[in-house]
Amino acid sequence: MNCFLLASSVNWTTVWIALAIMFGVSIVFALLITVISKVFAVKTDTRVEEITSLLPNANCGGCGYPGCAGLAQAIVDGKAPIDACAQCVKANRIKIANIMGVSFEGGEETIAVVHCTGGIKCEDKYEYNGYGDCKSQSIMSGGRKMCEVGCMGVGSCVDACPYYAVEVKEGVAVVDQSLCVSCGNCILACPKKIIERIPKSAKIYIGCSSRCKGKDVTLMCKSGCIGCGICQRTCKHDAIHLQNNVPVIDYSKCIGCKECMAKCPRHVIRELK
Amino acid sequence: MNIFTIIIGAVFVNNFILVKFLGICPFLGVSKKTDSALGMGVAVIFVMTLASLITYVLDKWLLSAYGLEFLQTIVFIFVIAALVQIVEMIIKKISPTLYNALGVYLPLITTNCAILGVALLLVTGEVYGVMINNLFEAVLYGLFAGVGFTLALFLMSGLRQKVDSLPLPKVLKGFPITLITASLMAMAFAVFA
Repeated sequence: MNCFLLASSVNWTTVWIALAIMFGVSIVFALLITVISKVFAVKTDTRVEEITSLLPNANCGGCGYPGCAGLAQAIVDGKAPIDACAQCVKANRIKIANIMGVSFEGGEETIAVVHCTGGIKCEDKYEYNGYGDCKSQSIMSGGRKMCEVGCMGVGSCVDACPYYAVEVKEGVAVVDQSLCVSCGNCILACPKKIIERIPKSAKIYIGCSSRCKGKDVTLMCKSGCIGCGICQRTCKHDAIHLQNNVPVIDYSKCIGCKECMAKCPRHVIRELK
Repeated sequence: MNIFTIIIGAVFVNNFILVKFLGICPFLGVSKKTDSALGMGVAVIFVMTLASLITYVLDKWLLSAYGLEFLQTIVFIFVIAALVQIVEMIIKKISPTLYNALGVYLPLITTNCAILGVALLLVTGEVYGVMINNLFEAVLYGLFAGVGFTLALFLMSGLRQKVDSLPLPKVLKGFPITLITASLMAMAFAVFA
């Protein structure tokens, strides 16, 4: 009943005029926008959109460009390499290379590891009471730790990781390999430069970066490499070599037998989980 | 004399951001860098002036003439949305750098309440005590309301660059200190009223 009353009380002339005005205004603006979009048409490279859809679109910023669309633009402009995005899967990298018309030579998938296992086992030089940021602390005579390349455990890498893959355990940063996508944000954040990418297929990594001599290392850190060279002598595959008092693994030769890991007296060679 | 009142009133006394609190979103969003703040300001001046012109004409010749004042809001939103679309296309063609700098805030001018506010206030014939008698004065008010908007954005971007580099406690870093800065600026502008 109410509906009928309402309907009869509507001034239909006004409704029609209102509709006509809205219709007229919309037609005028539709025409105007159509004309202007033709006049001011910008030629966009379709490859940018295609490459953007192949990138992870996580916009983590690990490549150094503003988001995935920014990187796609840089790839098209030739400023960035095809594999600038470390977390992009191989199949998509090949597709990107096809779009750009260049050949793609592999580039293995990687993950990040922290080359330090010191933490609370590493002695402190002084007590730090400043701003909680690795960079600020490293300005103060190279950080709190005795070891020049020791993780201070302040956790700038933890803050930098958009995937929550890094955490500080017992005073040292540890990368959770199941969560890491190798975006590279932690590598950029670390002032000590002890986070590095290694191939995803790797079984072991070196948990120390100290280039000091054995005696100096024993004074500073209970978990540091003393450069004894047992790993080099143990390895039957010529995959591990001492360079500047710290072992370096050649992952193309390492088969993951873990014999060096078992022999290492300081437990510096660690297993990847 | 009225022109002088309009200019001073629109830019300082009734500054849309700092006194009337309209258009806060771009004020906090685009004020990180002076360049993009000025770009946003110019885009707003442009859209605001055009919007005042077109909405005033539409209202006087169509809506008020036929007694359809209830259509004002929807028609004005419509006009502003179309204008922003046009401005976006033009900026994209003329200056891709400015287009990238403005980013998402350019489409957001569509829902910028300062612009709709100016349009809706102008057709009433009186904006915060300043009489608007004809089309020229309406466009002038729109233009200088945009200038006031740009002024607030520009001042804020300058202050923010200083404030962001201060060694602040973690709780105040970023947005909280920006809001405190904004409130202090608003207090300073209250002196004009």
